[in-house]
Amino acid sequence: MSREDLPYRAIFGAPLAIAVLSLVGLLGALLDDGAWDALGAALLAVSVGAAAWALAMRRR
Amino acid sequence: MRTRTLRAWSWVHKWSSLVSTLFLLMLCLTGLPLVFSHEIDEVLLHQDWKPAAEGRQLNLDQVLDAALSRHPGGVPAFMSFDEDRPVVNVTSVDPGGPAGQYTFQPIDRTSGDPAPPVAGHPAMEFLLQLHTDMFLGLPGMLFLGLMGLMLVTAVVSGVVLYAPFMRRLPFGTVRASKKARTRWLDYHNLLGVVTVAWVLVVGVTGVVNTLAVPIIAYWKDTALKELTAAYDAPVALTGRSSLDAAVRRAREALPGMQLQFVAFPGSDYSTEHHYAVFFHGDTPLTAHLTTPALIDARTGELAAVAPTPWYVKTLSLSQPLHFGDYGGLPLKILWALLDGITIVVLASGLYLWLARRRRERQA
Repeated sequence: MSREDLPYRAIFGAPLAIAVLSLVGLLGALLDDGAWDALGAALLAVSVGAAAWALAMRRR
Repeated sequence: MRTRTLRAWSWVHKWSSLVSTLFLLMLCLTGLPLVFSHEIDEVLLHQDWKPAAEGRQLNLDQVLDAALSRHPGGVPAFMSFDEDRPVVNVTSVDPGGPAGQYTFQPIDRTSGDPAPPVAGHPAMEFLLQLHTDMFLGLPGMLFLGLMGLMLVTAVVSGVVLYAPFMRRLPFGTVRASKKARTRWLDYHNLLGVVTVAWVLVVGVTGVVNTLAVPIIAYWKDTALKELTAAYDAPVALTGRSSLDAAVRRAREALPGMQLQFVAFPGSDYSTEHHYAVFFHGDTPLTAHLTTPALIDARTGELAAVAPTPWYVKTLSLSQPLHFGDYGGLPLKILWALLDGITIVVLASGLYLWLARRRRERQA
């Protein structure tokens, strides 16, 4: 790894967090109803939101 | 990562993607309307309808007779029950007809007359079958399962390759001012990595769903085998005991559970000798898990309550996790958005491969 390379934590930190939130959302909505349906959808929406944020804010 | 290792992962990613991309695009495109199949069926099949009579209900034997009288020669396979109207759905099969071809009849339980269907519009059935087996039956299902495994391989290798590509770029960077190939590589990496968890869940559960036929066959051949050992020949249609009494007996065996459907003797979900009466629980999780009570079709006696083994439970839970129909409309809308993003990832991957080939040819 050269000096300019980012550490794995920086490379995979955000994708890993998004993946964990998505999985919690997917399973939470399956295991419970009511509030978990909304919370599950919100957690899964983080992945779509992150993509939208990056496409809008991280263009260069 | 060493150059050789990188090349190996790159080879795996390229070929697992190339082999499966067209089929995955078909699955994503047909899957998009299927996410909203309930809503689309409601619009396409909408008819004002009221039951013929209030209060009075035919027993299940009468309903079955009414259905079979409209389909002479048909052999009953399944019976299911609408939740919000007094309608019983009878599925029968023509013994001389093509395998897998069923007749589906919704019957008004108050009169025995036909009721309008609320699901299964021909356009949606066409899409569902294309999505499930490409009209090729079990070989088609297993082939699509293999394509699902290719997808999982492509996703895993894509995650491995993400690190070397992103080692100098902060998360989410899109080099929009660069040439098209670089720009689309960034779109591909970004959209691919944010949807990894969802794609893996939908992909793996899709693979499990393609194994439904062998899973159910294995369950019948193992867990239910002892129940059939005492019999020589399948129970004849005319030798069957009352269906209504069988369902009542099953209800007594599984109090508090919700009746879901009945599989008739000889159908995919039962033995040659039993009515398999399936119930589900009433919690969000157990609503997706079924337990059958097997009623001897000759005597009407309870033969067994047979909780399904782990692999049948896995199959049951794979269905909602694949179709996204368990968390209301917001979850369905997200399913559609993520499906759309996956289409972009697949198409951009194909574009990147073609652009690279063109560049290599020109060099």
